[in-house]
Amino acid sequence: MKKQFGDNLWRHTVAISVSLFALFPLYLIIISSFNPTGSLKITSFIPSSFSLVNYEKLFNDPTIPYLVWMKNTVVISSVVAVVSVVIGASAAFAFSRLKFKGKKTGIQFLFLVQMFPAILALSAVYVIMERVYKFAPTIGLGTQPGLLLVYLGGAMGVNIWLLKGFVDSIPIDLDEAAKVDGATAMQTYWQIFIPLAAPILAVVSLLSFIGTFNEFILARLFLVDMNSRTVAVGLQGFIGGQYSENWGAFAAGSIIASIPIVIIFLSLQKYIISGLTAGSVKG
Amino acid sequence: MKINFYLPKILKYITLLLVFSLLLLIIQSAIATREFQIAIFLVLALILIAITYLSSISVPLKFFLPGILFLTAFVIAPILYTVVMSTFKYQTGNYISKEESIERIKLLATTPDESGTTFDIVLGKYDNQFAVLASNPIDQQYFISTPTNKINIGIDQVDIDENGVALKAPNFDAATVLESSELDQQYSTIRFKYEGDYFILLEGSSVGAVVRQSFNYNQDADRFENLIDDQVYTDNGAGNFANINDPEDVLQPGWRSPIWFSHYMDIVRNEKVRDPLISVFIWTVVFASLTVLTQFGLGLLVAMAMNKAIRGRKIYRSIFILPYAMPSIMSILIWAGMFNTEFGAINTLFNSEIAWFQNPNFSRFAVILVNLWLGFPYFYLITSGAMQAIPGELSEAAQIDGATPRQVFSRITLPLLLKIVSPLLVASFAFNFNNFNLIYLLTGGGPRNDLDGEVAGATDILISYTYRIAFGTNVQDLGFASAISVIIFFIVATISLFGIRKSKVLDSFS
Repeated sequence: MKKQFGDNLWRHTVAISVSLFALFPLYLIIISSFNPTGSLKITSFIPSSFSLVNYEKLFNDPTIPYLVWMKNTVVISSVVAVVSVVIGASAAFAFSRLKFKGKKTGIQFLFLVQMFPAILALSAVYVIMERVYKFAPTIGLGTQPGLLLVYLGGAMGVNIWLLKGFVDSIPIDLDEAAKVDGATAMQTYWQIFIPLAAPILAVVSLLSFIGTFNEFILARLFLVDMNSRTVAVGLQGFIGGQYSENWGAFAAGSIIASIPIVIIFLSLQKYIISGLTAGSVKG
Repeated sequence: MKINFYLPKILKYITLLLVFSLLLLIIQSAIATREFQIAIFLVLALILIAITYLSSISVPLKFFLPGILFLTAFVIAPILYTVVMSTFKYQTGNYISKEESIERIKLLATTPDESGTTFDIVLGKYDNQFAVLASNPIDQQYFISTPTNKINIGIDQVDIDENGVALKAPNFDAATVLESSELDQQYSTIRFKYEGDYFILLEGSSVGAVVRQSFNYNQDADRFENLIDDQVYTDNGAGNFANINDPEDVLQPGWRSPIWFSHYMDIVRNEKVRDPLISVFIWTVVFASLTVLTQFGLGLLVAMAMNKAIRGRKIYRSIFILPYAMPSIMSILIWAGMFNTEFGAINTLFNSEIAWFQNPNFSRFAVILVNLWLGFPYFYLITSGAMQAIPGELSEAAQIDGATPRQVFSRITLPLLLKIVSPLLVASFAFNFNNFNLIYLLTGGGPRNDLDGEVAGATDILISYTYRIAFGTNVQDLGFASAISVIIFFIVATISLFGIRKSKVLDSFS
């Protein structure tokens, strides 16, 4: 019994210390967001007063277009989520079900290409989109549509493994039955595969949503104008250098922005972990 | 039933029509601005879309084409373009094409007349031509000047203000103040007629200077000649016209010019380029290795502690996942605030006054610590999953044979575990090798000695260093940044191929 106790003791010691480590920044940001002074300096780790002034500042201060940032983020991330899942799903379907020359080479090539972070070719993307801006100012550098297009460059590679794994798990008899009935590959895709895959497509698009939400460097490079920024770029610029003054509002803003992501993440835990072991790493 | 049959077709043709008209519109304006490479790509895309969706040549292509087009435009083309850019001098001052550069030098290369004459100017139109109304209140000299003509006007014909500046003249259509501010840009490139070789160039929207061309471009010899001191400037092969008697004397702006492998040569030979790059490279490797080691170590420890149904395991587990569930950008910004020297929570907590981000070693420690926080849950999840996959009989058998728990762990559990997670360790290494967000948002790559013009900071990893070279400093050197990117490509490719070979992931595609 004593040995049992000793065994549990070290487990709890590890668990409690690591929990404190994990929770400390989160606890801090929560009490900061309710701290009426809104300053980075906290005199005590046990809050003595409670106020919503930071949250009010976030929504009422005209110099912080927080709601616009949120809207931008949701629009950009949603469009990328939907379009990239359509692109990824059709590629996964083709890789899984269609017979064609160069299939193996194709998928190996895709696997290699998607391993290079987009940021490596950043200078080139910048120059190309700067040129596009010269003749098509609505889709070039510095615009949200331009950013969307660049994001979609990765659409086929990023989620294809999860999707292909799922397509592989759908029994092939269904397709063959459809084929016998005279259905084309397109019809099989739209009428059999898509309805069956709807739940997994929803999961993958949510994952893609989180991924886009977390993207910083391209968004930073593209969205210069205050009102076109995403939450991440907006909050970073807003806090940049002036931690002491803007901390409270930043704390409130980062909490509001994080809650939906944390909820999505926790509810999709199962899929994310199976995706993890498939070799992908969250950004 | 009929509707069901026709609806997809109708939708398809409407979509195709929209895509075609949009593409045609963009192609047309691309050609109009002479962006032929982009235009050719778009024309090819258009043809491919048409062939693929209007015929049945290839069914798989119908599924792949949108993905392939985006991939080509925004991943493959930029990668290839990066390789091309790395062989160019492509930086601030050498950013435009040679033709544009010649035009700019011609425009800028002017010298004022000996007495530095200037006129007060009103912008406007004369005879439907761009024109200026120039006044010299002291000599009471007034004239209208167009690019081709100078029309002198007597003082009795103009309306002057209290300073003697002419505001109106016959046949001169003066621009309003608002118009002037918009026309400024346009007028500043026009040369208005004066006398002989001299002409008037605007300096702002209300003053014009009498200048003359000081450089002449000799197209046949591809060189500039200084008309005043007869110096000759030739193409120096590095993106500038340089004085043949003094190679340091170059005309600005230069152009992006092919210099082949000079950037790569510099990395090998020039120690001012090589030394910072090597130290950044070493830190990148150290950072990525330490990150993987610490994240995996803590993750493993936690997984071992949780590998038994202790009380509160579910709650602990939820807590451990939280850092991973938070958007990492927000977490990094929060940590950056916590490390603030004066007000940060960490110095408050430990009652210390450490200037975290001013000291190289403290910054490096902070970077590793924050990354540990961000990443240990990932390895906790992985290793606890992997532990369940290790058959229990193995360790039981070893225990029966008299192995101590420590021996069981180090001889059986750990080796098996490492075998399962090693591809993920490699993947994590590759990911952290390019973990731009962490470095950029936490320390900005610093501390660095800005006064010495140092570009590489103590916590800069290759990718953040590259970003800084390309976008961060006064001289934005896209060419050199591309050369480093190409090197990183090869490093990442090597690591990844190594990882793939280990995990045999490519075999599963066959």
